[in-house]
Amino acid sequence: MKPQDTAGTTAGDGPFDSLDAELLDQIRQEYAAADPIPPDLPERIKFSLQLRDLEAEVARLAAREFQPLASRGEEQSRTITFDSDSLTIMIRIDSNGDETVRVDGWLAPPQRREIEMRTATSPLTALTDEQGRFAFASVPCGKAQLIVRPAKDGPSGSSRSVVTPALVL
Amino acid sequence: MDESGPVTVPAQRPDRGARIAGLVGEAKNGSEQALGQLVADLSPLLWQVARAAGLGTDDAEDVLQTVWLRLVSHLGDIHTSGALTAWLVTTTKREAWRVRAAGRKQLPVDEGWLAGVPDQAAGCEELAITDDHNRRLWRALGRLEPRCQELLRIIAFVPRPDYQAVADELGIPRGSVGPTRGRCLAKLRILLADDGLLADDGSGGGR
Repeated sequence: MKPQDTAGTTAGDGPFDSLDAELLDQIRQEYAAADPIPPDLPERIKFSLQLRDLEAEVARLAAREFQPLASRGEEQSRTITFDSDSLTIMIRIDSNGDETVRVDGWLAPPQRREIEMRTATSPLTALTDEQGRFAFASVPCGKAQLIVRPAKDGPSGSSRSVVTPALVL
Repeated sequence: MDESGPVTVPAQRPDRGARIAGLVGEAKNGSEQALGQLVADLSPLLWQVARAAGLGTDDAEDVLQTVWLRLVSHLGDIHTSGALTAWLVTTTKREAWRVRAAGRKQLPVDEGWLAGVPDQAAGCEELAITDDHNRRLWRALGRLEPRCQELLRIIAFVPRPDYQAVADELGIPRGSVGPTRGRCLAKLRILLADDGLLADDGSGGGR
């Protein structure tokens, strides 16, 4: 289909004019209303950027699964997997029923590392065992971020810290 | 600002480029507040980039977080507002492709997750539309090829002074004497004119 283009106002190489600007403004308003950014997302991003570790590897969220529990009224258990170049981090989050959650985690390949759980309040730390397992028995609900640091008694040198995006527990 | 010129730049502060470049410099020096301001200013654009790439809302949230975390180690290479916006848009697109390629759609879904998945074919009509003018705009957008829909959705959120830097990144041909309308916007105008929404007689259109 070749629509008529008499005055040249609809040519792709025509100059960008005020009508184009107006159309783009309308398109922006429509999408901003129809599919707005979640209002709390910028705050979560800012939270995860407070770390400012220029050397850290960034782990990406690789999978997220829900396991609904049979009994009613209980929070479902969530499993989240993060991948970075050097590590896979899996965590399972279970509600404690009191505004806190229990977080059980595994590192692959298994290794001894120090795990920091940044929260909206004070950070928590844990050490992994030889199988790469770690646990936080009680983490306040809300924003949280994991940082996997080299273990003080672990192999020195090569290991960089690995950071995850901010989660909402 | 020359108001008689072919390009009007409404609702954009003329000093925006300098302000953003200043924030980039402060962020490099460790200012959390400056970095936070950049996040607040540019995340709405990146949200649209991720959603236009076909991601569900959860995946789009993850991608935005990853992109900003990655920016921290790239700030040293970025000096202008245009370069920052272009880097963020390109990296968001790349991360979105990566997520899609990883096939995360196979995960068990709940209804909320499913509702967040945009349907390229029907997406425009699905969204709540009240007003006839808006309906016709959506209908025209829906008739564009997917690539044009994605492009216009992104460009509409790009601060106008950064338009050319992002257009270059996205492969939109650069005009010899300044920004051109581009093929997708030209097609949209034809579709709107066909629908009677724009009087395409060279007078600048009417509603």
